[in-house]
Amino acid sequence: MERFEPTIVAFVCNWCTYTAADLAGTARMIQSPNVRLVRMMCTGMVDPKYVLKALLGGADAVLISGCHPGDCHYINGNYKARRRVKLLKEILTGFGVDERRVKLTWVGASEGNEFAETVNELVEDIRELGPGETSRMMVI
Amino acid sequence: MNKSYDALVVGAGIGGIRAALDLAETGRKVVLTDTRPHIGGLLAQLDYQFPNDHCGMCKMLPLTERDSSSQFCMRKGLFHKNIDILLHTDLLELSGEPGTFKAVLSRQSSFVDPEKCIGCGLCAEACPVSVPHEFNAGLTQRTAVHLPVPHAIPNHYVVDLDSCERCWQCHDACPTRAIDFRFSERKDFRILVASPRPDAAERLAGWFKHQNFPFLHAKTGQEALDTLAKDETIRLLVIDVRIDDPDAERLLERAQEIRPTLPVVASCPPEREHEARALVDLGARDYVVGPLNPATLVPWLDKLYMRLVSEERIEVDVAAVVLAAGFDCYDPGDPLHGAGQTLGYGRLPGVVTSLEFERMCSSTGPSGGRLARHDGQELKRIAWLQCVGSRDLQKKADYCSSVCCMISLKEANLARKRTFGRKGGPAECTVFYMDMRVFGKEYQSYRDTAESNGVRFVPARLHTVLPDPDDPAALRVQYVDDAGRITTETFDMLVLAVGARPPKAMQRLARAAGIETNEWGFCATDYFEPARTSRVGVFAGGAFGQPRDIAESVIQSGAAACNASRLVNLFAPIKDRGPEPEPRYRDVSREQPRILAALCSSCPTLDRALDVDDLARRLEGVESVVRVMRVDNACTGEGWKAVAEAAAELEPNRILIGACMPYAYVPRLRELGAAIGLNPALMDVVDVHSLVMGAMSTKHPTDAAVRERAEEDVFTRVHMSLMRLMGADPSPLPEPQEVTRAALVVGGGLAGMTAAMAIADHGYPVTLVEEAEHLGGTAMKLRRTLSGQDPVRFMEDLVGQVTRHPNITVHTDARVALSMGRAGRFFSVVSLDEGSAPVEHGVTVLATGGHESRIYDYGFRVHKSVLTQLELEQRLASGEIDASALSGVAMMQCWRSRDEHRNYCSRVCCAGMLKNLLLLKERAPDLPVYVFYRDIMSYGFSEQYYTKAREAGAIFVRYSPENRPQVEFEDGRPVITAYDPVLAAPIRVHADLLALSTGIEPNENWELAEIFGVHLDANGFFQEADYKWRPVDFLKQGVFVCGLARAPGSMGETVASAKAAAQRAVRVLSEKRLVCGSVVAEVRDSLCSRCGRCIDVCPYGARSLDLDRDRIVVDELLCQGCGSCAAACPNGASVLRGFTDVQVMSVIDAALGNLPTPRTAPAPAAATPESDPEPATAAPDAADTGPTEDPA
Repeated sequence: MERFEPTIVAFVCNWCTYTAADLAGTARMIQSPNVRLVRMMCTGMVDPKYVLKALLGGADAVLISGCHPGDCHYINGNYKARRRVKLLKEILTGFGVDERRVKLTWVGASEGNEFAETVNELVEDIRELGPGETSRMMVI
Repeated sequence: MNKSYDALVVGAGIGGIRAALDLAETGRKVVLTDTRPHIGGLLAQLDYQFPNDHCGMCKMLPLTERDSSSQFCMRKGLFHKNIDILLHTDLLELSGEPGTFKAVLSRQSSFVDPEKCIGCGLCAEACPVSVPHEFNAGLTQRTAVHLPVPHAIPNHYVVDLDSCERCWQCHDACPTRAIDFRFSERKDFRILVASPRPDAAERLAGWFKHQNFPFLHAKTGQEALDTLAKDETIRLLVIDVRIDDPDAERLLERAQEIRPTLPVVASCPPEREHEARALVDLGARDYVVGPLNPATLVPWLDKLYMRLVSEERIEVDVAAVVLAAGFDCYDPGDPLHGAGQTLGYGRLPGVVTSLEFERMCSSTGPSGGRLARHDGQELKRIAWLQCVGSRDLQKKADYCSSVCCMISLKEANLARKRTFGRKGGPAECTVFYMDMRVFGKEYQSYRDTAESNGVRFVPARLHTVLPDPDDPAALRVQYVDDAGRITTETFDMLVLAVGARPPKAMQRLARAAGIETNEWGFCATDYFEPARTSRVGVFAGGAFGQPRDIAESVIQSGAAACNASRLVNLFAPIKDRGPEPEPRYRDVSREQPRILAALCSSCPTLDRALDVDDLARRLEGVESVVRVMRVDNACTGEGWKAVAEAAAELEPNRILIGACMPYAYVPRLRELGAAIGLNPALMDVVDVHSLVMGAMSTKHPTDAAVRERAEEDVFTRVHMSLMRLMGADPSPLPEPQEVTRAALVVGGGLAGMTAAMAIADHGYPVTLVEEAEHLGGTAMKLRRTLSGQDPVRFMEDLVGQVTRHPNITVHTDARVALSMGRAGRFFSVVSLDEGSAPVEHGVTVLATGGHESRIYDYGFRVHKSVLTQLELEQRLASGEIDASALSGVAMMQCWRSRDEHRNYCSRVCCAGMLKNLLLLKERAPDLPVYVFYRDIMSYGFSEQYYTKAREAGAIFVRYSPENRPQVEFEDGRPVITAYDPVLAAPIRVHADLLALSTGIEPNENWELAEIFGVHLDANGFFQEADYKWRPVDFLKQGVFVCGLARAPGSMGETVASAKAAAQRAVRVLSEKRLVCGSVVAEVRDSLCSRCGRCIDVCPYGARSLDLDRDRIVVDELLCQGCGSCAAACPNGASVLRGFTDVQVMSVIDAALGNLPTPRTAPAPAAATPESDPEPATAAPDAADTGPTEDPA
């Protein structure tokens, strides 16, 4: 049987993780093309509705990744993201969505391999979990 | 190439970048050069910076008129419209006068055409060479054709000619024919050989012919000269030292007269090598020693040829020069630096330098950031040894490198973080030090944190490092501890905290720029004006004049930029310059989106990986796309012309270009926008190549499934960009704001006066407000400096200049009572004796200074024998204290500082103590002087005075904060009881005087902080926007800080910070109107419920509630476009341009393939969201209510 290739929507911040993702891409560190990068200016602007939209639209997982704590170009955007994602995960769990489908990480600009690792780990986790049910479970 | 710039900045490290940006932001044209093939300098190799263990380089990017530069990670690159960057470039010559310098630059070629290189890496795969990679400090290997840094943009391969073996394999492997060894031009490279030996000439002729070089021969010197005079096409002259009539030396001289730019090389038999070397000293480029044989001569000649034909000589006219070539790290393995192999470095693999350790911690390092011993075992115990190559007379370095202590602390922190959570617990870290020099703001608490995290500090020098007999991969080190016992410990790794050395090419650079160096080879600078060099018009930025950390390099560069700007101003005043033609953009806000998409097909990557025609067809089916065209060379001007032509024909209102390395296209988009009258905010470049780059290295990428997958990936990525572009708001940006071109400087001390002078010299009116009766402040109280200058005269001169300056209005006995407004437009009221005066100004500089702190302790103000160092200085200067009449003096450092009272180092007290100590010792050499200290902070070149003080016989007694010296008084004379770690015994010292180093406290700032809406730090100093990257800015734009109000510092440092602040202020004043960035937040008033959440969430304070108009307003200059407000807004009323909900939602849809895209003919869009400039609330509502309607 063909291996399940999960689709991941990644909201990455313009300053750190997008740079890392670019580095990972040009250095060919990511082999699996499962991840769709959506560049945001800051993780602090990732509205939970974007995450829901991605899950409802058929994404098997959502990755949010930005600068390390204390390193945000906009001073504290990543802290806002951290609070928001924690809350969102609780709500999602209430609706029966596995919280592992939403992941928040910090990847600095020079950490291309860490971005690749994060993506590959997430892909492995989601393979274990199986395809996302959200888009089928919930009808808008 | 001959161009004219306002300033030349040499060195594209952090210092150079800051100086270039500071100048470029005020509208100056800057050329920025670096010998390295990448920008970032040393920092390109350092991923983490103290004191927060992260990077933040991007915070240096402009905040006003953000779109003038690139808006992405600065490690990748910097694109500013006023900065031209020349890499691989050296300064050869600087002639002329300040204001009208002529600089000669030489740019080396990388032999890889940057317009053709696509970074696929096939050349490196083919290259057989393997040499240590400089980027990883030699820990990894690289090929001759290589990427200098892994992350730069544009990132092209370069050929390192020194290690290249000329096998041509990379040339053959390159799919785009980007590598050019200039073979075809050899036939024009005529070589004249002047040699009296016909047999040798004949042999050479044969070899040269075989190599395709035209060969000419001259038997005598005269014949050679005649040929040269006749034949102008000769490109190289080879002189055999045995030539006669005239002899070699004369021939060289005459040849240089006839053709000054002709390269000459010498050849000689082995016994006459000295003559050849003499020719090189006279101007020959190189020499070669016989007997000549083709195996060595041909590659030598080939490389020489390559260098000669590829070097580009660039002449530029500049008004001012900033040198910021930084420093190199001491190499403990290099015998040139002194002692040869230090402590087993190079012999024992466990001994590494701090730079190597830094690379080991890095994700782009040799092990991807995983720390391990060289035999693969876990790193359990790591030791750092401080002061390797600094504070070392034997290694000719009687100076402190200033940064290594903090680097070691950071590395210890990193090592703990990297090994945290593993089974055996984090690595044990030990630092062996002489003095921990943590003299910067917040550095003391950084050390405290490290200590509380378990980093062990041992004040000792290691003397022996050997492999451990039980575990040969480990190291056994020996040292003498405080109690005098020889102690042996085992470590897995020893990190040598290597000091700073002048850059390798310093002597050459100094000669070329015509500047003097100091005795350690750094640039000689002025004490009061550390940015000034020995040559007028040439300024020292960054760490060029003294080893400095990032924050101080940034300040120093700001000061250098300010000086340069002042000079440029004399020759081309900004005010008189006509405004640059503002590009006029078509108003497309009422048009339906029409997107022109262009796919670059200059590289074979795309074609090899997928069916581009099919991709283009599919893209044409996407809503709003009017045409998908293929461009031959998106990377060259031609390709862009094709796009511009198509744009002229189709009149699209959005343009998307699919190419490689989108970062590099920032300036191009700006040009294209100006050419076709379309706002660059409505254009985008998307990377289509890196997705399929993998296809380049596999030989047969023809598998249908793979191709389909690749096409799907590329299509999705382009589709996502199309969707974002389609939703882009085409309405014009908010109107630029008028600037009041005047400044208010608060504080009339050294910093305030210097800042006022610098701004006023640019031609802007300045109001200087001083609380006291007279100008002068704290610096006025000083009597001499450590290196012997006269601060009194300097200050009196400065006060005179300020009071006489026609652009400065001085108010003494005055205070700022209130201030309102924003960057570019402030309105303040100054209360004076005779009432109050209103001031309108565009910028504010806060320079409120500080004072010697006073804590009544240790008998201070009870006994006359206890005084502060400043009082001692004044009494020594006035003669009130007679040194020869004293029987003993005690000095106490860090009195109530660097502890719970004031947890910072005041920087100046150790210098102040040394100053007084040396003066006492000068006047009374036998006078016993005892100094009780914790760490002597004689950073930089002031270390030499510490050495002198010890030589003079002063006794230094270290104490620990837990065990402070006790002071009692006998007949009013102090008696100090302390524990001496060297004697390992308690001592009692009787003295006549006790001088206390009391440290610096900021003046009362809270009121001003409130008036100007800025913050104070825990110690009462003003809190700058970012300690390292924006040291003189506040988060609130238009307000700047300098001098002691920001942080303690010496007079030179205060002047530097004042000039840096002035330059930032001039940036705001230099334009009549301030333009905001294109990514900026807006409010849709009809949806706004005035809940105010966005006001609280904005990190820049850019939002406020306008009570008169009953709406939330955004200060578009303060807004940096982070989008926090948009995420916080419950109604979708707050939106970020370029990232509206409509855009993001449709991008997500495109990412997941949820938008209908007919494969063939374009169809009218039905199901896709309308491209309505008004916010579509449907999408978010749907998402929000979705889960609640779950029928399951």
